[in-house]
Amino acid sequence: MHRLWNRIDFAFSSAWQNFWRNAAVSIASVLIVWVVLLALGSLLLVLHSLDQIVALEKTKASAISVYLADTTPLSSAMDFKLHLESDPRVSSVTYVSKDEAMARFRQLPALDPSVIDTLGTNPLPASLDVTVKDIRDLGAIDQEVRTSPLVDKSPATNYEPNVIDKIILLARVAGIAGLVLIIGLTGLSVFIIMLTIRTAIYLRRKEIEVMKLVGATDWFVRWPFIVEGLIVGVVGAVVAVLIVGFGYRPAVINLQSVLIFVPLAFDPSYLRVVLAAMLGFGLLLGSVGSYLGVRRFLKQ
Amino acid sequence: MRDEMPYTARVIRPDRAPAFRDPGIRNGFVHVPATITTQPTRTALLPAKARVAAVVPAVPQISLQGVQKTYPNGTVALRDVTLEIPKQDFVFLVGPSGAGKSTLVRLLIREEKATAGSIHIEGQDLSRLKRRHLPYLRRKIGMVFQDFKLLPNLTVFQNVAFALRVTEGALRHLKPKVEEVLSIVGLEGKESKYPDQLSGGEQQRVAIARALVHDPRIFLADEPTGNLDPATSWEIIQLLLQINARGTTVLMATHNREIVDVMRRRVVAIEGGQIVRDEDAGGYHAPALESH
Repeated sequence: MHRLWNRIDFAFSSAWQNFWRNAAVSIASVLIVWVVLLALGSLLLVLHSLDQIVALEKTKASAISVYLADTTPLSSAMDFKLHLESDPRVSSVTYVSKDEAMARFRQLPALDPSVIDTLGTNPLPASLDVTVKDIRDLGAIDQEVRTSPLVDKSPATNYEPNVIDKIILLARVAGIAGLVLIIGLTGLSVFIIMLTIRTAIYLRRKEIEVMKLVGATDWFVRWPFIVEGLIVGVVGAVVAVLIVGFGYRPAVINLQSVLIFVPLAFDPSYLRVVLAAMLGFGLLLGSVGSYLGVRRFLKQ
Repeated sequence: MRDEMPYTARVIRPDRAPAFRDPGIRNGFVHVPATITTQPTRTALLPAKARVAAVVPAVPQISLQGVQKTYPNGTVALRDVTLEIPKQDFVFLVGPSGAGKSTLVRLLIREEKATAGSIHIEGQDLSRLKRRHLPYLRRKIGMVFQDFKLLPNLTVFQNVAFALRVTEGALRHLKPKVEEVLSIVGLEGKESKYPDQLSGGEQQRVAIARALVHDPRIFLADEPTGNLDPATSWEIIQLLLQINARGTTVLMATHNREIVDVMRRRVVAIEGGQIVRDEDAGGYHAPALESH
């Protein structure tokens, strides 16, 4: 117990001294770790949001809203509804009045209701929400309803066949670009941590010489430097975790107010996973960097 | 010449008999049968085998057999060095700069590996010693240098304690042990001084104290008086004699002719990487022929 405590105490106090003895290099390596982890955390959260959007869009994919011109009388709208319901490809049709549309609109997250009130009149059209049995028929039905005089022309429907594909593509591009960036930064940070450890070893060369001379084991000599790498990793990670942890919710809320129709959501359980991953990756960077530094520069 | 000197003459002089720590392992010297005592123990000019045969009793504590050391750049530092040092011996290693004294010392703590031949310390073959066992060899060997190798940012006490801390000695015994070795070297009261507040002799004493914390069985001193004035050098030599008297084998590489000549201890002379002389109670230079 005493020996273990001695070893831990020696490793941590030497590592802490090393950290401050070459403070400029240490802080540079903390910064690079911080940047890597910030990129990692942001990427994970962005990809997760895109996933959520894709999942939501997929559930909406079997339905379109056919917007009715404000001039359309309710009776004609009901005739049109019956006409659509008689179509064998359609499974159901629901009429949504202008008032109902407004009520739904008011429920969108992050929308300031006072903004709507300034509009005075209700700009939203009434609509027929058509659900089809097979998604592949959606395009044909969209083409047909557009020819009807009852239908609003700007826009006629909310049919956007490519939106899911576009989001998936966006997620893939963002994922690959982010991954390349993170791999590059990871290599750079491991290299910089290695240099930090090398500097620390250089500054400690006299002590290392004496340690070896009086019979310290290799690992006793190495541990302080490994611990120094871990300190760099942890400090970088903690700063990044705090920024992402506290910044995620405000960022989502801000984006929701800009991208009103994009279903962004705050997901605290996923955030915890991301923060844990960031901390773990920070420790990994620190330990790999210092291990390489020790291995390369502490050989006899 | 030492060849004519009876073996006993070297052993039983009372003023030089070491205070044995363990009477059971008296290294064979005082128990050597009378028939053998008249035999020469070592003659540098005899082949290795003959010399091995002459040292009949126990295995020597330090043994080099046909050791060669060639550095990667091709420099041959030692060639066919055969040397045996029994327990509690006191040996001066002399020779000009670059003769191979330091290389020999480095081989003994396995800072370097022999290119050929074998080195045994207490029966352990250094060429077969695994790297992870190396620290435990070093704890058996106390080592001091010309440049002291003290850590300037640590006090006297901390410098000595450092050796115990980094080898994971029991911390409960740290303070008494450090105080004990500091009193052996006569530095009581200077525990909280820093090396640059001490004289050269005192700094070397700190280094000696540090080398003693593991109760080494072998003490290697590489030019320990090289940076010291004559009076201080003598103090350091007295200290090494004390350490030797406590039962530790001492091997001291030195240029200090005066000390070697006055001490009349075993002298091993190296020149050009070879042992050219090995005599008991020798001087710095080979005795002139006419003196015999």
